[in-house]
Amino acid sequence: MPMAGIRATPLGRSTLAFGAASALLIMTGPVRPDETCQSPYMAKITGIEDFVYVWTLGVDGLGDGSDKLVTIDARETSATFGKPIHVASVGGRHEAHHGGFTDDRRQFWAAGLSDSRIFIFDVATRPATPQLVKVIDDFVERSGGAAGPHGAYALPGRMLIPSLSNRHGTGRAALVEYSNEGDYVTTHWLPTDAEPNGARIEGTADGYGYDARVLPRRNVMLTSSFTGLENYMRPLGDLMKDGEAMKRFGHTMVLWDFHARQPRTVLSVPGVPLEIRWAWGPQNTYAFTSTALTAKLWLVREDERGAWSAKPVADIGDPSTLPVPVDISLSADDRTLFVDTFMDGTTRVFDVSDPDTPRQIYEKKIGSQLNMVSQSWDGKRIYYTSSLLANWDKTGAENEQFLKAYGWNGKELAPRFAIDFTAERLGRPHMMAFGATSLYAK
Amino acid sequence: MRPAVLLGLAALAFGAAALAHDAHPPRPEAAAVFPIPPPGSYRLPAIKPAARGSVLDEAGRPRDLLGDAGGITVLALIYTRCGDVCPLASADMARLQDLAATDPAVGRRMRLVTLSFDPEHDTPEVMRDFAAGWRSADPLAPPWAFLTAPGRAEIAPILAAYGQRVDGGPNGALNHVFRAFLIDSGCRVRNIYSLDFFEPALVLTDVRTLLLEESGSGEAQDR
Repeated sequence: MPMAGIRATPLGRSTLAFGAASALLIMTGPVRPDETCQSPYMAKITGIEDFVYVWTLGVDGLGDGSDKLVTIDARETSATFGKPIHVASVGGRHEAHHGGFTDDRRQFWAAGLSDSRIFIFDVATRPATPQLVKVIDDFVERSGGAAGPHGAYALPGRMLIPSLSNRHGTGRAALVEYSNEGDYVTTHWLPTDAEPNGARIEGTADGYGYDARVLPRRNVMLTSSFTGLENYMRPLGDLMKDGEAMKRFGHTMVLWDFHARQPRTVLSVPGVPLEIRWAWGPQNTYAFTSTALTAKLWLVREDERGAWSAKPVADIGDPSTLPVPVDISLSADDRTLFVDTFMDGTTRVFDVSDPDTPRQIYEKKIGSQLNMVSQSWDGKRIYYTSSLLANWDKTGAENEQFLKAYGWNGKELAPRFAIDFTAERLGRPHMMAFGATSLYAK
Repeated sequence: MRPAVLLGLAALAFGAAALAHDAHPPRPEAAAVFPIPPPGSYRLPAIKPAARGSVLDEAGRPRDLLGDAGGITVLALIYTRCGDVCPLASADMARLQDLAATDPAVGRRMRLVTLSFDPEHDTPEVMRDFAAGWRSADPLAPPWAFLTAPGRAEIAPILAAYGQRVDGGPNGALNHVFRAFLIDSGCRVRNIYSLDFFEPALVLTDVRTLLLEESGSGEAQDR
């Protein structure tokens, strides 16, 4: 029998909806874990993650030397639990950095910062063994000059690719859209003082880009700002001695009308705001970011009048020692924020149940250097990787390259497994994303 | 505004868990009125060609998915046995049809199409009964076609062209991510909606934006 539609009265339609939603409640069952830092438009894993995909920079002389998507077995009952079980090499080194799934989670798009290539993997046909199915190699040309695709963020039927740079290598950046089929759609340049594109500018509009994240129920998108190719491909030691180059970093976040893709407000957030994490709660209309050069947590929120503002709410470690906050991860209940700092290789956990006054509740040194952190939807499993950029990673004995998995009980981290990516001859592990066979059950 | 009961239940559903079926059912604030930009004040770039294909109408007669050229089409892909997001989407389509009926100048230049991807169950007869529960009798409302296909072989290329993957789920359910498509009179997809953004007032604003573009009076020019 088809579900009967009720057209006559609003009450009738409500009656229909009641039946529909009741069925949905029955179908949903217990909480289904998933990583917490992905696009809200994406399909969700229907069980504990089976795999962790790691977008990995190739290292000359190590294995095949190429960038690759590595599959880690996260199934605790598997004989290969905690081991790399598959490598999908893309050939050559492209400064592998971030990536993301399409909204139907059938593809993983992985970007290269140096030559602006985007590698599209099929993760649905055989989730344990992703296959490279397409390479976008004309990103700069098609986008009208954007370069350095930083990540890939799922929108309905499309992917949003924030760039870090442009064909000239400076920090002027854009948001570039592609269809899920891998065809170019359009480009939106970040606002600048010279071209504000209708945005209200608090201080200055530097036009730099980094992360881009959407809060659908408020029709807003936030972007953050880093630096251009001329800086991020340069050895860190040289760069930090160059006072002029060090001025060319982002100090802004932009609040956009997402539907119109038009910038509304350029917020002043000095110190290079990087990862953006929207709160998940339906009443929590705010986001966190961390600033790399000033080591602060910032809160971006909407007030009762619909105005958006940003303010620093906590220090991360001792800012005077330049710990360099990198990735952050907000728990699904919006109460716990994991913050990694690259220089001291430490993860810090903040209680952010009051977002105005984050309180550090735990810290642990994970390794000599530390970058990415991913957590499961239930907050019980935390994964870390080590690499930041090929030319910014530490050298010598401090150049540890690892993925480390922990359990989190709300108070402390307990080791589950660790993989030495150098010993395994894989490279520099960077972005992580979860996979599960059950998502594609026939 | 969506019916309050519908919203409340959607909120309960969201609280229970994320879905395999769709990324996110609407949260209670999904109907909160965020500012909708004026029609024609923004661009809707062409995303990809909108596929045509041979389907069946409610009387079992063969027809093209998009019918005769001309007009703006809002296409929703569903199946009638669906117990979660599809009825919510159909309720949104009904609200869109009602809303468009209040502006006949727009309503007569658009149409709604619901296509089932479950042809084995959703026969033309089933679609006719389903349509009877949803379609407005208001003569000023835009037409709303409820279509299906002769079989899986016929629907497969259409679904592939729209990037709509459908997998068998537990208890005969069909796992899919809900998508609806805004298609211009040149058969190009100009927007793709998840349930989060399938707000009738917003969709109608997009329709008006395309109509302004086609009349040459809007700022929203496709490139």
